[in-house]
Amino acid sequence: MSDRYARQVLFYGIGNKGQKILMEKTAVLVGCGALGCTSANLLVRSGIKCLKIVDRDFIEESNLQRQSLFDEEDISKNLPKAVAAQKKLQKINSRIQQIEAIVVDLNPSNIETILENANVVIDGTDNFETRFLINDYCVKHGIPWIYGACIGSMGLTMNIVPPKTPCLRCVLDTMPPFGTTETCDTAGIIAPIASMIASIQAAEALKILTDNYDAVSKGLLKVDLWRNEIKKLHTEDIKEKSDCITCKQHQYEFLSKDRYSMTTSLCGRNAVQILHPNGSKLDLEKLAARLEHVGEVSFNSFLLRLKLDKYELTVFPDGRSIITGTNDASVAKGLYAKYIGM
Amino acid sequence: MIYLDNAATTFPKPEIVYKTMDTFYRTLGANPGRSGHKMAVAAEKEIEDTRMVVTKLFGIKNSNRFVFTFNATDAINMGIKGLLKPGDHAITTYLEHNAVSRSLHGLEKRKVITVTKVKNSQDGFIEPDDIKNAITSKTRLIVMAHAPNVLGTIQPIKEIGRIARENNIIFFIDAAQTAGVCEIDVNQCFIDMLAFTGHKGPLGPTGTGGLYVGERVTLEPWREGGTGFEPASLSQPEELPFKLESGTPNTVGIAGLRAGVEYVLSRGIQTIRNHEQKLTGKLINALKDDRRFILYGTMDISKKVGILSINIKGFKPAEVGVILDQSFDIAVRPGLHCAPFAHQVLGTFPDGTVRISPGYFNTEADVDQLLTVLDKIASEKI
Repeated sequence: MSDRYARQVLFYGIGNKGQKILMEKTAVLVGCGALGCTSANLLVRSGIKCLKIVDRDFIEESNLQRQSLFDEEDISKNLPKAVAAQKKLQKINSRIQQIEAIVVDLNPSNIETILENANVVIDGTDNFETRFLINDYCVKHGIPWIYGACIGSMGLTMNIVPPKTPCLRCVLDTMPPFGTTETCDTAGIIAPIASMIASIQAAEALKILTDNYDAVSKGLLKVDLWRNEIKKLHTEDIKEKSDCITCKQHQYEFLSKDRYSMTTSLCGRNAVQILHPNGSKLDLEKLAARLEHVGEVSFNSFLLRLKLDKYELTVFPDGRSIITGTNDASVAKGLYAKYIGM
Repeated sequence: MIYLDNAATTFPKPEIVYKTMDTFYRTLGANPGRSGHKMAVAAEKEIEDTRMVVTKLFGIKNSNRFVFTFNATDAINMGIKGLLKPGDHAITTYLEHNAVSRSLHGLEKRKVITVTKVKNSQDGFIEPDDIKNAITSKTRLIVMAHAPNVLGTIQPIKEIGRIARENNIIFFIDAAQTAGVCEIDVNQCFIDMLAFTGHKGPLGPTGTGGLYVGERVTLEPWREGGTGFEPASLSQPEELPFKLESGTPNTVGIAGLRAGVEYVLSRGIQTIRNHEQKLTGKLINALKDDRRFILYGTMDISKKVGILSINIKGFKPAEVGVILDQSFDIAVRPGLHCAPFAHQVLGTFPDGTVRISPGYFNTEADVDQLLTVLDKIASEKI
């Protein structure tokens, strides 16, 4: 073993054996924002065999405050996040043969090919729908995944190691309705919380990838860096009690598209409609208040309009939305996840 | 739900259509003709009976020249691509559905044919003289909708057909919006080809339709294969309808189509048209002088089918569509209706219009309800 990984090999939890195992492993990162940049950086430096980076977005100026793999030049080149990250990571560790950028919206149609061969899946997403989809896939195929989420100064993380631990749906039975959750683009975020949660995710990934399952953290960890709170919610008993639809009943509602949102390109128009099979009951006035710093907002009892530079989002009380300014379903979903919340 | 999207597909269907399809598929679901056993023969008979019934909608005398297709798009592709040869010129209009526009454009892009698009009047009609003026020595085809799907304006096809016949040009009518709701006679209107779909005016199921291929037309088949006829020959049979009907047909759909067409014929095409005219007229009268609304196309209901395109000032048509659907459970069709050029000439591109299309099973109460709701939406400023 060369010097490159010497300090990590010296560490008692890894050793030569652990390093060898690690160098045969594949991690898939879904979402390369604030969380994803940090965890990708740490994992590539650790010397895993393959990292796949899945992200549908392009880099924007407001990302630079916290998304540590990107710089101003990436913006001027208008690079997708996954591609910019791949280029940067390849420079950091040229020995890794497989750092793969996948610029798509992860969805029920492509998840089976994209997550195939993953030894761990790391959550860097900004929405519940994709997390519920990842949970379905990982529970079905017995692949560990590491939930992570941040907003403001607060962050959450939890390891899901099927079938040993509770899964996401044991903890959160139903997805929050579309348009009811705050997002980083409406409530803001400070960078340190993302670095912290992503660092924990990366450490957990190292444990999982080196087969150190005894060391893997159990339960849901909640950190608030502004209120100076660290809480651990023990979840072991949840699993026994639960009649979880995913990990006990093995019904994969998101993978089978039953509960997954539908996007349709509107006939000939530069617009995409997003529908959710469950529907919401949105308070458009509340949503308008949340969006007032984002762009020009107007609403009546039937609809809310949010005007952005290049796009316009029309949101209806059941959470349905028409996103004008794009024909690309993944762009539309990205905007919805950022501003309305899904 | 109040369903006012009958120009997309009629809903509901007459009860007899559901019953016929259910009974047919349970008792006669064999592959027609192919195997020669009793059930196969009965299925074949169903198809031939339907062929006879459907030809009555269009005054077609030789039913062998009526070919089953899977919808109007299928029939239009079959007609256009089977007819036109390199160097040919085709005349069409800006009001066409993409089935016509794209079929022609595909050939034009590959430099097989040239195409002239004739402009319409502001209220949505094609002037026969404009067609006449577009004719060149290479013109082989005039193809256009009987009533285009955005405006529903009934075109002067008899006059245009006469011009086509006088100039030895094939006249091809897209009757998607008029089959079953307008009297059509292919001979009186000098129609050489006619395409229609079964799931609209004929009140049949989706996946059915047909193409009339007149005596003056010879088409190259664009779908070749098993016909149950002359199986030993490597070549596609030359006989109609077999030449153009390869592959197992949508037998259960065709059975449903017969039930739908028989229902239309028993009620009377004129009765159905009168009903749709009455409802459309009610809509027009209520909205035409209200400045919050914009109405497109002629206001003369004697010159249009049951289609009305509108917009509410201050709202995009797609927004109106969603509001009607989710807040009031009313189904209409917003957008471009697969006819982008029609909206470009109307000045409604790229947002389109809200298309309201009452059908035979709508009532005046449905229209009243829609008018109340439209007023409510238009009153809420944003």
